[in-house]
Formats: sequence, structure tokens, C-alpha cells
Amino acid sequence: MKISDWEKSKNEGVDNLPSGERRRFLQFGLAVTGVFLGGSVLSLTSARNAQGMMGPVPPAGKFPYKPHYTMVMRQNRCIDCERCMEACVKTNNVPSYGYRTTILEQVRSLGENQTERVFMPVLCNHCNRPPCVRVCPTTATYKDKTNGIVMMDYKRCIGCKTCMTACPYNARYFKEENRAIDKCNFCIDTRLAQGEKKTACAAACPAQVRIFGDLTDSSSEAYKLIHRPEKVVWVLRPETGAMPNVFYMND
Amino acid sequence: MKRQYKKIAALAGSLLLAGFFSFAIAAGPAAQPAAEAAPAGYDEDVYGPAAPILWNKPVKGVIFTHKTHTMDMGLSCDACHDELFEMMAGAAEEKADFTMESLYAGKYCGACHDGSMAFASNTRCTTCHIGVKGMKRMSGGTKAATPAH
Repeated sequence: MKISDWEKSKNEGVDNLPSGERRRFLQFGLAVTGVFLGGSVLSLTSARNAQGMMGPVPPAGKFPYKPHYTMVMRQNRCIDCERCMEACVKTNNVPSYGYRTTILEQVRSLGENQTERVFMPVLCNHCNRPPCVRVCPTTATYKDKTNGIVMMDYKRCIGCKTCMTACPYNARYFKEENRAIDKCNFCIDTRLAQGEKKTACAAACPAQVRIFGDLTDSSSEAYKLIHRPEKVVWVLRPETGAMPNVFYMND
Repeated sequence: MKRQYKKIAALAGSLLLAGFFSFAIAAGPAAQPAAEAAPAGYDEDVYGPAAPILWNKPVKGVIFTHKTHTMDMGLSCDACHDELFEMMAGAAEEKADFTMESLYAGKYCGACHDGSMAFASNTRCTTCHIGVKGMKRMSGGTKAATPAH
């Protein structure tokens, strides 16, 4: 029966409706109301504690790993001499078509035809909630349980590159030689395991831009730098909620 | 009715194509000169070489332009030559003490860049340190970054 035919039929009224029919109608109405009411109540409770007010640095004693490796970038000291990139390439055997760390360039307007060049070193942020780890179908990339470094298991990697898409920091590349994704691992195998205290990039920096350290050690330079009260500390892309461990500041 | 639609579609299509071509033409010759050319009236005998000097030691990508210092700031040749810098280009970077520490101690650029005569050597780093990216750009490689905000 079409709607146009329904329109022509006579109104039956509600007097002759069976009570079951009325009950079902009322139940449906209550269900709709309940869904809306429940939704509005839920929307009043926040999903998780807001962190924006406290800045990107987690409160002391709340670092999930030990040692909790970090890198602090004193951004305005960077002069793009690219010694860090050269050292990384040499230490970690990085091919020319990829990078584990690189330098970005920005031009900031100072008004009145004046500009300032800003160089920004970037690398894997070794996030506390890494989007790359979450999407990996073979668990080839994972958080190290002790130190929180986002690691790669080359043998498990199938080269699907999903992690490359998921990473908010563009910190991954496909290494043809390994037939696997490669990325920064804070030189854990090439330097830290050999007893070195700094990553290759941090050691090579002539301007002490990159300060590598352990956040659980309150005497380390990295810890002290990001806990100075007068300094603004920021991270890149905080809105992703990845909780990165590379902090930026100006000297 | 259908014919009208066809006409409209054809018109829209041709407009789109025309727009695309005009955009492609406009976007074509956007290549910029790699380095800033010397302005008219720039006399190399008075103001020094027009080409900027690039240092790669001890760190890569440091620039010096004579024009900024002579023509714009009014310094004479003997303000820097030969006491602070030898005349020969690249002589300074062969010296072991051509470092930021020396500049802070008042040598080389630090003689003026001390915070009172000109901006201090330990500030505004990227004014002179144009970096590897800046050097590549000068040799006509990549495009200049534009102000983000």
C-alpha cells in the first residue's frame, strides 16, 4: 500500500487499538528518551583528566619507564649545520633516501618586513601512547618494557607501512636493504648498549641543542631543563594525545 | 530539458578547463633568482665583493654579505681589513680560533657584534647561520620557506 493510498483511508481513531499496541508505542518512546538522556549525562563526564593546563611535561614521579629516555631540544640554538644528521647516518647506517632524524625550517614573521629563521630538529618522539605501535598488525614495532624506546623488530615487519601513516611525526621510512621499516631508537644498539651516555646526534651537536637524558634521574640535565619554572616547554602535535617524550624549549 | 543540461555541462566543462589552463600558466614561471642580486649603484671597489661569503668551517652554512655592512651600515673597508679579517676570502675559516668562543671574546665579528655596537654574537644565531638548507637554496636548489604565521 502506498502512502497516497493511506492518506485516503479513514482515520481509525485510537479507541479500538489493542493495549499491546499502545504499550509497544510507549515503550519505543521511552527508549528514545532514555538514549538521549543517557547520552547527555555521559557527555557531562570527561573521558580522562585534562592535561593541557599542566603543560606537556608529566608530573615528577609519573614517568612510566626507568630509565625514561627523553630528548630536550633547545630549539633557538639550532643552526642547521646538520652534524647530527651526518652522525646519525654514519652510526646507524641510514641510506640517502631516508632519515632517522632531520631538521625542519620555518620562517617566522617579526613584522615590518622582518623575518626570523627557525630550525627545528625532529626525530622519533618515543611516545608514551605511540600510534605506530597501536596500528602495527604484526607487533614488529613495540614499546620497550624497561626504557620505553619505540623499537623495531625487522624480522617481524612485513613492510605494510601502516605505522608510517600513523606516526604524527613522520619519523619512519622504509629501508630497502632491510625490507623493513627503520626509525630512530635513541642509538640503543649502536651506542647506549656500548656504554655511551649520549645518542650520536646529541654527541655531535656543536651547539648543545639536543640534550639526551633520563627523566627519572632528577640530577640529569634533561630533567633540570624542562623543570625550570621560568621556561616554556612544548611538544610537537600535542593534540594527537600520543604523549611524546621529545621536549622543545628556547634557551 | 535534456539538451539544456548538456549545454550547461559543456559550458561548465569548458570553463573548468580554461580555469585549469590559466592556473597552470600562472604557476609556471615562478622560479626566483637563487641569490639576491646586487642593487644598481653597488660599486665593488667601494663596497667589497657583491657575492656573499660562505663559511663551512668549523660549522657549515654561515653567510656574510659585504653590502649589509658597507653600503647599508656605512662601514669602510679598513674597519675590518686587515686587522680583524684578511682580505683573502676564506682565510678566516682556516684559523683554529675562528669559533664562537673567539667571537664572544671580541675577535673577528665579535669586535662589533658585542651587544652594544651590533647585536651580540650569542643572539640571533640564524641571521648568519643560514644552515645547510640556506646554502643549498643559494646554489639554486630548493625553494625558500615562507612565513608560517
